[in-house]
Amino acid sequence: MAEAVLEGSQPVDLAKHPSGIIPTLQNIVSTVNMDCRLELKTIALHARNAEYNPKRFAAVIMRIREPKTTALIFASGKMVCTGAKSEQQSKLAARKYARIIQKLGFPAQFKDFKIQNIVGSCDVKFPIRLEGLAYAHGHFSSYEPELFPGLIYRMKQPKIVLLIFVSGKIVLTGAKVRDEIYEAFENIYPVLTEFRKIQQWYVPSPYSDLTLDLHVAKPNCTDVLKTCNSGRMPI
Amino acid sequence: MIESSKMASYELYRKSSIGMSLTDALDELVTNGTISPLLAVKVLMQFDKSMNDALSTKVKVKTSFKGHLHTYRFCDNVWTFILENASFKTDNEVTAVDRVKIVACDAKILAH
Repeated sequence: MAEAVLEGSQPVDLAKHPSGIIPTLQNIVSTVNMDCRLELKTIALHARNAEYNPKRFAAVIMRIREPKTTALIFASGKMVCTGAKSEQQSKLAARKYARIIQKLGFPAQFKDFKIQNIVGSCDVKFPIRLEGLAYAHGHFSSYEPELFPGLIYRMKQPKIVLLIFVSGKIVLTGAKVRDEIYEAFENIYPVLTEFRKIQQWYVPSPYSDLTLDLHVAKPNCTDVLKTCNSGRMPI
Repeated sequence: MIESSKMASYELYRKSSIGMSLTDALDELVTNGTISPLLAVKVLMQFDKSMNDALSTKVKVKTSFKGHLHTYRFCDNVWTFILENASFKTDNEVTAVDRVKIVACDAKILAH
């Protein structure tokens, strides 16, 4: 994971990230207006890696490999670019798509580029008592394990939605700028440590640190990101 | 398949070697006046139908293929793929190709 590399190679700025953990950006959604009518069928027939099925969806779905992204291109000239891992990459990808449209002969411009959503994730590397957290922060929390295994935490300031999983994996979404992701994580981190799950059969011993490492179950929720990317998030 | 006599078939297989040979032969027959152009067209239409029928009912061999997807397209219900370094596997045979274009049409779409 990128965060591990980051932690290893350069020291974390503790003034900005007191927790010592920097959430990794996983997805950026941006929009731009090319400000010209587009003939979607022409685009689908001439551009590479395009899908157009007007019966299903009124946009051309196009992909590029670098930056690895997907664009939805509408007849109005508006475009949505998803999948980039940073703001700059999202803008670069959007520019590349606009260039492709230009090369097909449309007078595409690049107006009102805007980052619409930023998704980040991280791992606090300890299990969390979601029920306790949901009870104590009932105002912000929704935890329905029969519907979704994660706790949905709607933070008010900054206005960010967090998915908190028992495993200690966290997903943060709804940000317009990356600092909101960082701020939301620093806000929630002390709460997570408060509701850290300690195994009940754990018996303290003189080697408490060692036994803790050995006995506390490793977080086991590799499906966190898959779940969130598959669009099954109930938010 | 009873209605299949009325329904149009894809002309995809006219470009295959057997289709090209048939077209050439029909051309020759039309040119020297042995058959009418109308009959030639009818034969070609029957060929389209027979190819589609034969492929769906007579051919039992299965082929699988894989490769690096260079380009794809979906437009007008037709998928187009360009694969690089592809390999085609039949029962006991593997054929490697540097570059191959695959065109896939929905067989059901012409049925209505």
